[in-house]
Amino acid sequence: MNERILRPVVVAVVLWAVCLSTVRAENATWSSAAAHTLPKGRWEIGLFQPLRYGQTDHLEWSTHPILNLVIPNLSVKIAHGDGAGWQLATRHQLHYPTPLLRLVRREGTGGLIAPDLDIPAILFLRSELLLTRTLGSSRQLTVKGGAALVAKTGALDERATIDLPIIFPRMAAYRQGYQVNFGLDLVGKLFGRWGYGADMDVFLTPGFDQPFAFEHKGLALWRKNDRFQLLLGYKLTFGDYPFGEQWHLLPLLDLQWSRKRQGRQ
Amino acid sequence: MSFWFRCHLLVALFLLQLGCQPLVTTFDDIETAVDYRASSIGAVPGAVDTLLIMTWNIKFGGGDIDFWFDCWGDRVLMTEDEVLDNLEGVVAKVNQVDPDILLLQEVDVDSKRSVYLDQLQYILDHTDLNYGVFASMWQSQYVPSNGLGRVNTGNAILSRWPLDNAERIALALRSDQDSLTRYFYLRRNILKATVDLPGYGEANAFHVVNVHTAAFSQDGTKQKHIDRFKEELDKIAGSGGLFVAGGDLNEIPPNADKTFNFVDSKCEDGDFQADDYSGETDWLNAFYALPAAGGYSPAVPLANFQGDNSAYFSHSTNPRAGFKRKLDYLFTNRQGGWVPGSAVTHQDISSAGRALSDHAPVSVKLVLP
Repeated sequence: MNERILRPVVVAVVLWAVCLSTVRAENATWSSAAAHTLPKGRWEIGLFQPLRYGQTDHLEWSTHPILNLVIPNLSVKIAHGDGAGWQLATRHQLHYPTPLLRLVRREGTGGLIAPDLDIPAILFLRSELLLTRTLGSSRQLTVKGGAALVAKTGALDERATIDLPIIFPRMAAYRQGYQVNFGLDLVGKLFGRWGYGADMDVFLTPGFDQPFAFEHKGLALWRKNDRFQLLLGYKLTFGDYPFGEQWHLLPLLDLQWSRKRQGRQ
Repeated sequence: MSFWFRCHLLVALFLLQLGCQPLVTTFDDIETAVDYRASSIGAVPGAVDTLLIMTWNIKFGGGDIDFWFDCWGDRVLMTEDEVLDNLEGVVAKVNQVDPDILLLQEVDVDSKRSVYLDQLQYILDHTDLNYGVFASMWQSQYVPSNGLGRVNTGNAILSRWPLDNAERIALALRSDQDSLTRYFYLRRNILKATVDLPGYGEANAFHVVNVHTAAFSQDGTKQKHIDRFKEELDKIAGSGGLFVAGGDLNEIPPNADKTFNFVDSKCEDGDFQADDYSGETDWLNAFYALPAAGGYSPAVPLANFQGDNSAYFSHSTNPRAGFKRKLDYLFTNRQGGWVPGSAVTHQDISSAGRALSDHAPVSVKLVLP
């Protein structure tokens, strides 16, 4: 593919993927931000969402196959059972953003990071605790909290940032070496094939010049069956940036497919 | 599907992701300029009979850093220490000249390359100038090229006295770029205001006009900008107003000894080649014409320049090696208004190992009627 086409493709795919990386469906058949995992043998993939696979009824792997080319990534969610009406799970995400950062550190169009800045090797690990409670017959509330740690081979220059919503707060962890996050997720059924999802996430990076970021997502979900669904909504972000505080409203759209491997039950 | 359709589809996707806020700020033909004032207003002089006027392209406080666009280096973003050090030098020079009215070009007010420092506010707060107006020539939430990121830079007028009627007059966009590049590219302007000088009012307003014309166009855009600037001055003069006007015209004076092949020209990339003026030697003739023919009074008379070009050079892409061409000007329609011998091209901002900008300031005294 022509390089001039490839660069905006990479940028667009990365942005979409990051935006949609936490989009989930509204019940236990589809993967969700809740403390349950995919059934054993079931896999899902979306246009921009990662590939998810239920290895057992308590263990779910996910990775974004396309992004793996530029940002190797792997996530595992482990369900730990329930108690007092709450389901408990942990989620652990690992990614290596260095190739992507070096790809967009370039001269000319597509250069999101100045070409004269060094990008060290960066390894990112985030672990989260998920607690889910069913409310009534058609809603689920999830409370989550986590912490991220970053290992680097050298300091990341303070100018090596991409001062855009969603991306900047996540890159704050690369600079500072740590970050904490917490949030809420609510999913439920509306009527017929329609459902909804809403969440809020807060990212705190203590000691960083721009320590605070808030994200809220609202989604309508249309499920044709347990093999295909459409997700449509928005993401509202607010955060501290080097130039001041700013709100952004972003559209979200994705298509998601799922299948179950035969003979694995 | 054509290449351009695919390209624009992808860009549209990119823009859609960024939501309702446009990536680039566009401007109406005429807009109100942005007002500034110093954090602490100093003494405003009473009636005066002479004004000291100064113009300076301060290169967004970039000093002598070798930036990518000059082809002498690859720098894109400055550190906070670099920005503050350079601005301290700029402010020291302004305070040394101590102008009553200052025309600035390439002033960053919210750009990643200059650590988002509002340079206009900084200069107001560190000089005896009290009031300012600003007109952006490049305002983008995000320029996805060379790691530039957010940019807001433009022209400014600063004054000891309040400024009124400040307008941003849009200049023509370049037509020799593809639509994507043009979308993210500079939107140059003329910045115009009246100065609330004691004894001057609506009937006899004192105008200040600041311009920074196209540098790298190959399609005649620069000539359009120069002609539009002249047209604006003609309007003021035609209405009986008094003006001082100037800025960075990106053009050499008529009959300059050297018109191309400058020793500091290093760019081979056509996008940044700006140094062949051989076909443009008459573009400023209208400014230097006799008053009866619609000309105005230059701070540096043409005869002086022709007597010693190098004494009036005000720009170099490598200012550490001295200035190589004159691009910066001041004019007035008050014939005989400049104090003879008062025009100074401050080449001392460039010396071995240190330069405050790639342009030298020009200052001159004007006797008021």
